[in-house]
Amino acid sequence: MSDRLTRVSSPAAIEDDLAALWRDAARDAPIARALMANLVVYRDCPAAEEVDLSAPLEGVPIDEVIERHPSRLIRLHHGGRPDPGAPVGATISVLLFDTAGARFGVEEIAVRSSCADASLPSIVRRLALGDIPTSIWWTEDLSHSTPLEALVTMGRQLLYDSRRWADLRRGFLALAALAAHPHGPDLADLNWRRLTPLRQALAHAVVAIGAPLDAPDPRALGLRVRHGRNERALAWLLAGWFSARLGWTANHEWPVTIEEQPDDEAILTVSLGAGAITATMTAQHVLVDYNGRVAPFSMAVPHESEAEAVAAELRSLTYDSDLRDALAALAARLTSSGSL
Amino acid sequence: MSESLFDRLSAGLAQPLAAEPVTLVIFGGTGDLAHRKLLPALYNLHVDGLLPPRFAVVGIGRGDLTDEAYRDFAKDGVVHFSRRPPDEAVWKIFAESLYFVSASFDDPKAFAPLGSRLDVIEHERGLTGNRIYYLAVPPSMFVPTVTNLAHAKFIGPPDTPPFSRLIVEKPIGRDLASALTIDDAIAEVFDEKQIYRIDHYCGKETVQNILVMRFANSIFEPLFNQKYIDHVQITVAEEEGVGTRAGYYDQAGALRDMVQNHILQLLTLVAMEPPRSLDAEVVRDEKLEVIQSLRPIDAAAVDSQAVRAQYTAGFDLGSPVPGYRDEPGVDTGSRTETYVALQFFVDNWRWAGVPFFVRTGKRLPKRASEISIHLKGVPPILFNTDPAARLDPNVLSIRIQPNEGFALAISSKIPGPRVRIYPVKMDFQYGSTFGNISPEAYERLLLDVMAGDPTLFMRRDTVEAAWRWVMPVLDRWAEQKDAPLATYAAGDWGPPEADRLIESTGRRWRDL
Repeated sequence: MSDRLTRVSSPAAIEDDLAALWRDAARDAPIARALMANLVVYRDCPAAEEVDLSAPLEGVPIDEVIERHPSRLIRLHHGGRPDPGAPVGATISVLLFDTAGARFGVEEIAVRSSCADASLPSIVRRLALGDIPTSIWWTEDLSHSTPLEALVTMGRQLLYDSRRWADLRRGFLALAALAAHPHGPDLADLNWRRLTPLRQALAHAVVAIGAPLDAPDPRALGLRVRHGRNERALAWLLAGWFSARLGWTANHEWPVTIEEQPDDEAILTVSLGAGAITATMTAQHVLVDYNGRVAPFSMAVPHESEAEAVAAELRSLTYDSDLRDALAALAARLTSSGSL
Repeated sequence: MSESLFDRLSAGLAQPLAAEPVTLVIFGGTGDLAHRKLLPALYNLHVDGLLPPRFAVVGIGRGDLTDEAYRDFAKDGVVHFSRRPPDEAVWKIFAESLYFVSASFDDPKAFAPLGSRLDVIEHERGLTGNRIYYLAVPPSMFVPTVTNLAHAKFIGPPDTPPFSRLIVEKPIGRDLASALTIDDAIAEVFDEKQIYRIDHYCGKETVQNILVMRFANSIFEPLFNQKYIDHVQITVAEEEGVGTRAGYYDQAGALRDMVQNHILQLLTLVAMEPPRSLDAEVVRDEKLEVIQSLRPIDAAAVDSQAVRAQYTAGFDLGSPVPGYRDEPGVDTGSRTETYVALQFFVDNWRWAGVPFFVRTGKRLPKRASEISIHLKGVPPILFNTDPAARLDPNVLSIRIQPNEGFALAISSKIPGPRVRIYPVKMDFQYGSTFGNISPEAYERLLLDVMAGDPTLFMRRDTVEAAWRWVMPVLDRWAEQKDAPLATYAAGDWGPPEADRLIESTGRRWRDL
C-alpha cells in the first residue's frame, strides 16, 4: 500500500523543502525514512517538451523499485538548448509505504535541466547523498541515446536493459567502450540477468554429456541460436558469452549462427555441438535435451517482475566480469566483421 | 591440463548454491510441517531458481494418495502458507517434481517397494541417487525410521557419491539420556557429517545477521565484552497459548521447548569468539565453546537463578482466554512451565561477570523475540550528574521477530537553549531497508542441506552440551513436585518472581 506527498520546489530549496515534507509525512504517525542508495533515473527531454515533474514516468516501474530498494530517487529530465544555469524546475515527493506494520517513506526529487551535458554531474553531486552507493538507471534506449560519460562514470553502477535497444551494434559498441573505461561503473543489464538460468543450465548440461563436447578445439562445437521476436539482443549476448568463454576470437571463423524463430513460444533455443545438446528457454523454465542420449532436465526461470529484477540488480553491487568479457567479445566481433 | 567445457562455461557464473541433483525424501510428507513449511519453502526456492537443475521431492506417509493428490496437497500448503501465492504456469513445472509413496516408517517390509519407486523416479528424472531424508515425524519415530533406512541399504558412506543426508527436527530427546539414545542410534547409521539437526531459528535472516553485525562492522565488536557490557537480555515471547501442541508441550515445557535449543543457539551467536574462518566446523566449534563456558547452575542455585511459571486465565487483546490447565489436551493438574526466566554467566575472559538474563513464555502480551545488549552507563559527571534523572545506558537491541532489524538507543540533546537530554533510537529495519524480500527460514536451511553446508545446523556435541547444562534445572524442578508453582495471568509479562530475579541485581526487564 503506498501513498504520495508531492510538492513543487525550486532547485535551491530542495533539501529544505524535503525536510518540511518529511515533517508533514510524520505528522499523524512516526515514519522511517528508508534509504539504501541514490538512484539516478535519466530521461531525454527535448527542448520543446513540457514535463509534468509530478507525473510518474510512463512504462518505468519506479515506485515498485524503490519500495524494494529504498533509495533517494533523483529523476533527471534533461535536454534542450544548453543553458549554463541551474535546473529550471524541481518537484519533491515522499512515497509512503505501509506493509506488514512497517511504515516507511522514500524520497524522490524530479528536476528539469537543460544545462550542458558536461555540467549535469554537478546537479547529481548536489542532490546525491554521501556514504551510500549511487546507481544510474538508464531507462532510455541506450543505443539511440548514448550514455553521457560524465554522468554514468560518477555512479558506481549503470543499469540498463539491452532488450529495449533498436540498434544492437551501436548499443554493444557504446557499452564495450564504457566497460573499458578506467573509471567505468559496474554494468548491470536486465537482459543479461534473464540469460542467467540458460547459462547455468548450459554449464550443467555439458557435465552430463562429458567427453564428446570436451573437444580440443572448442570452435568445433558450433553454436546455433534461434530467438523469439524482440529477443535478438539476448541471442547476441549469449553468443558473446560463448565467444568469451571458449576463446572464439575475432580473428577466427565464428562458429555461431543466430536466427529468428518468431512463431515459437521459446525465448531462445540453443543448439550446441551439432545438436548434442539443445536448451530451450521459455518464460517458465530452461529445458535441456540430449537428443535421447541422457534424461532431459529442466531448470526454473525465476519468476520476477521488472521491478523485482531492477531492485535485485541494484542490491548487487558487483563487478560482472562475464558481462564485460561478453561485451568485449561482441565489440571485437563487430569491429572485425563490421555488422551483426 | 586443458580446461573442460564445464570449467570454461561456469567460470565467473554464479552457480546455484545447491547444484547437485538430489531427491528429497520427506518422512511425514503429509504432516503439518510438510504442509505449512517444507513444501511452500521448496516452491519458493523453485520460483527463485535456486533448486538444483535435477530435483525431486518424494513425500512418504501412511495415507493412500496418488502423486496427483499429493500435488494438490502441496498446492494447498502453498496457497495458505507460502510467502508467495502459486503462479499457475510456474506451479505446473514445480508440481512435476512431486511424488508420493504410501509407506509405514516402522515397517521394514515397506522399504523395499519404497526403494523401487525411488529408483524409478530417479531414473525418469535423470537423478544420480543423491538423497536427503527428512524426518518430519515425531521423535519416537526417529530411531525406527533410520534403522529401516539402514536395513534397506538406502544409505551410502559419507564421502562417496552419491550422497545420503539426514535432516532431523528438534526436539532431539527430552533430556540428556534420551538425546544420547537418539544420537547413538542415528550415529550407528549415519556419519555425523551426514546429519543436519534443524533449529529453524538459525535460518532466520536476523539470526544470521548477528555474526555479520558483530564481525563485519568495526564499531560493535570492540564493545562486546565485560569492559563495556553491563548485561545481556534474551527474550522469546509468544502471545499465543499452547494451541494444538498440547500433547507435545505438556510433556516438554518452556525450558525444553525454547531454552535448550533456540535461546542457547541465539546466545552462542552473541557470545562467541570471532571464528578464524566461516568454515562450518570452525563456526560450530566456537558455538560449542560458548555452551561449554556456561557456568553450571547447580541444584542449590536453581531456586535463585531460575523461575518457572504457568499462565492462568487472563486476556488477549481484551478477549478472555483460558488458563493453561484449562486448555484442550492439557492435564488439569499439569505442573508444566509455560514461562521460564534464567540468570546465568558465561565464564570466559570476554564475558566474565556479565549476567545474561533470558525469559520466554506463552500467553505473554505480544510476540517478540529480541536480544538486547545493555552497555554500561556513563560516569555521573558532565551530563549525568542529576541522581534523580540518570541517563539511560545505551542499548543495542537485535529484533529477531517481528520487525526484524536492530536499533541502538543513544542519548541526544533536545533542540533548545537549555541542555536537556533525551533517549533516541537509531533504527535499522529489514522491512523498510531491503523491502519485503526475506526468505523463510526453511528455504535457507533446505538449500544449505542440498549444498552440504552444515554451518547453521546443530552438531551432536553442541546439542548434548546444551542438554548437560539445563539438566540440573530440570532435575531440581522434578524434585520439587509439591512446591507451589508461580503463575501469571495470560497477557502479563510473566510472574512477579521473574521481575524480582532481575531487579535483585539492580536491573529490569526491557519493555518490548
